[in-house]
Order: sequence, then C-alpha cells, then structure tokens
Amino acid sequence: MTKLFDKYAPLQARVDMMMKIGADALGVKFDDILSATRGRIGTQEILLAGTNNYLGLTFDEDCRAAAKKAVDDHGTGTTGSRVANGTYAEHTDLEAAMAEHFNMPSCIVFTTGYQTNLAAISGLAGDKDVIFMDADAHACIIDGSRLTNASTIRFRHNNPEDLDKRLRRQGEIEGGNALVVIEGMYSMFGDIAPVDEFLDVTHRHGGYLFIDEAHSYGVFGPTGCGIAEEQGVLDQVDFISGTFSKSLASVGGFCASKHPEFEITRKVMRPYMFTASATPANICAARVAVDKIKAGGHLRDNLKARAQQLHAGLKALEFDLCADPSPVIAVRRPNEGVAAMEWNWLMENGVYVNLAVPPGTPQSSSLLRISLSAAHTEADVKTIIDAFSRMKASQAEIMTGMMSKLQAAE
Amino acid sequence: MSAPTDSEIYDKICELLKPYNPKNLPIERSSGIMSDLEVDSVAVFDFIMELEDHYDISIPMEMVSDIKTVGELVTAVKGLTA
Repeated sequence: MTKLFDKYAPLQARVDMMMKIGADALGVKFDDILSATRGRIGTQEILLAGTNNYLGLTFDEDCRAAAKKAVDDHGTGTTGSRVANGTYAEHTDLEAAMAEHFNMPSCIVFTTGYQTNLAAISGLAGDKDVIFMDADAHACIIDGSRLTNASTIRFRHNNPEDLDKRLRRQGEIEGGNALVVIEGMYSMFGDIAPVDEFLDVTHRHGGYLFIDEAHSYGVFGPTGCGIAEEQGVLDQVDFISGTFSKSLASVGGFCASKHPEFEITRKVMRPYMFTASATPANICAARVAVDKIKAGGHLRDNLKARAQQLHAGLKALEFDLCADPSPVIAVRRPNEGVAAMEWNWLMENGVYVNLAVPPGTPQSSSLLRISLSAAHTEADVKTIIDAFSRMKASQAEIMTGMMSKLQAAE
Repeated sequence: MSAPTDSEIYDKICELLKPYNPKNLPIERSSGIMSDLEVDSVAVFDFIMELEDHYDISIPMEMVSDIKTVGELVTAVKGLTA
C-alpha cells in the first residue's frame, strides 16, 4: 500500500544526495546575526552575501528603536485580522506614508510579502478576467493566480512583444479585463523589466499593469520607489506590490494603486482577511524604513557601486553571470551537484550565498546567487571576489572532495 | 490552414519535447509529462509556450495543471485547434 510520504521519494533522494555532499543549503541555521553583513555559525564568522538586505537597515538604530517602542507601547502581537481587531493607527499611518511615497491614492499593508501577491492578485482578478504573467514570475504570483477563477496565460520573460502577441491572440475579453503581472527586478537572475514598454503594450490593449517591486523597492529610483520610478513611468502603473522583508528590513508587504477603488478589495482578499495583521514592531520598523528609503540616495549609490565592483570582479574571473550588474548577481553553474559542492566550500570559507536550483530557477539553471547590501564595504566585496577566485582555483580539489564524500556515503 | 490531425499534433509534441527530455526517455501517449519524462514544473510551461506559438492557440495554466499525459495534451490541443 502507498504511504502518505511515498510521493516525496524522488525529492528525498535529491536531498539525500545534497546531504552526502555537505550541509543542507535550504536549512542553514545561524547561531547569531551580528550585523547586516555578518552572521555566526558555531565559532565561525560568516560574511552574509545572500540575505536580500539591500539597504542594510536590519540593524539601523532608528528602525530598531521604533520596533522596541512599538512592543512597549502596543505589545508583541495584534492577535487579530485587519478586518477584526488587528488594525492599529500604525497600520493605517504606514499605508498613508507609502501611498504618499508612490503618490497614489490607495495603499494596503499585508502580513507578509508572499501573502501580499496572493491577496492582491486574487482580489483583482475575477472569473471573467485573464491574468497574463511573466514566465519567470515568483511563486506567490503563480499561487495568487491559482486562488482565482481567472484564466492565466504566461508570456516569455521580459518580452513585451510576446505579451503583445498573446494579448492579441486572446482578443476581446468578454465581460472582463486583462491583468498583466510582471516584476521590477527578478529575484533569481537580477534582471530588470522594461516597465515602460510593458505599460505601453498593456494599456494599448486596455489592460491593467501590476508590478511586483519586492526586490526593487528602496533599491531603484531617485526616491527609492523602484524600477517604475527609475524608468520615469511610476504615475502610469496601475498596481505596485512589494515586501517589507528586503529593503524595508522588517516583515510584511504592501500593494499601492493609482485606482482609489482598490480599497474595496479589503473586503474580499482572503489572505488579508483571514490572517492576523503584522505585529506592531514590524509595522513601526517598516514605517521608519520608508523615510530612510526616501532619503536613501547615498545607500543606493553605494549599493550600485558594490554591484558594479562585484560584477566586474566575477566577470574578470570568467564566471558565467546571468544578467547585467544589479544588487542580485547570479553565477550560473554547470549542474546541481557542482553548485551544491561549491556552496558548501564557500560556507566553509566564510561566505554565505544562496544555492538556487530547479524548479525554483529560470531555464532549469543551478545558481550561486549573491545579493548585495548597501552595508557591504568595498573590502567585503573584495572578500567575495577573492573567495570565488580561490573556489575556481580549487575546482579539482572540490570535485575530488565531492566524489570521495559520495563514495564514502555509499 | 486546416486543423491538424491527431497524429500531426502528437508528432509535433514529441518534437518540441526533445530539448526537455535530455535522457531521451521513450515518449508514449501514456507517458506522464512530469512523472515519466521528468520535465520540471517550470520547464513544462516553457514547452507549452512553444506549443501555443506553433498552433497560435492559448493553453491557459489552469488547463495545463489538469493535463498529466502526452495523450491528454494531444486531445487538448486538438480541441483548441478544431
């Protein structure tokens, strides 16, 4: 008879293989986090180069003070949903501050980034609407569309012409609308959407454009609003979503809209209504971080300089990089085994990056993914480049090590 | 253009599946696209986009989720091209 967990046997075999090679890359445990760029495992200090802490605000004095005060003033949790007892003045203040930042009439705050897209997409797309999503869309966009009864079509990644073709193929959407969903900067490769071109195509077909700026809010644009602001088209975007757990250095998410009618979705979005609201500490830390982002030109300048430094350094070492310089730099590796072995080697040598493997990656690629922070110094980035250089020089030794570990485990 | 026949669609699907089947596993109508041919959940949708473009049809994601085998995909494409 089949047992409940039998279906995971192929996955278990993959995990077992990883564990033979080294540590569980998807289950790293830090014993301490020392700063925005340093962690500790056992007695070893680790340079953090895969935490999406783009502006390095997790240890910002003002953000920490706001979080501590929030706990003292309002307690540790809200114990209620936004539609019950879980809306405090701080939640609505944050919504107003973010709406003002985007110069949009509406902004709704959610408990996590994942829930934000789940809620917003499922709230916006009805039975007769059609969702068009970028082929490299994040899991929360895919899952959000699954919560709807809307038909969902994928278009080729970062390709407005392909979207145009698919919108034309769809033709008139009787009784419904097209909701086009893209991201500003894509999390795995760090490549950037041509938002201006997507806006043109979407609006030409009478659709609405939804951009997830999870990895780009705070990081791009003169005031940190994201890629749409960077490309000078923020005022035309219909919906912008994002998370608090990256540049805002907290936990939660938001969706802003130029359509004041967006407010009605508070009454229908299940991931908004049926979960407890974000904690006062998370909300108050994010509120201070919004101001830091608006005035954070110097942070963005440093982040950009570090991205260029790292990209140039890895390129000089002839690594295969997935995109132009951005705060996410992904190094393409030949396969999962090599990537896992190298990931372990980097950890043993004091550098934490992300190991990213299919199906979580585009083009079934195996990646060593680095995300930079404004808190990284020039010396930190040099340390990362040096580690990759030594890793490259140690290839033979690393591969021999992998073979012997696999044999020993036989 | 006249509607493609069942066997034309099957042949085209086999041809388009080739790059997603590096182990050259035998493709039968009863083959599970993900379970037998080991095409991962993201690659399936990439392959579907190619099929959409070839026949100038839309195969929505919710329809793809219900299709398990090559034969079921042939039937779905036949319906959309009829």
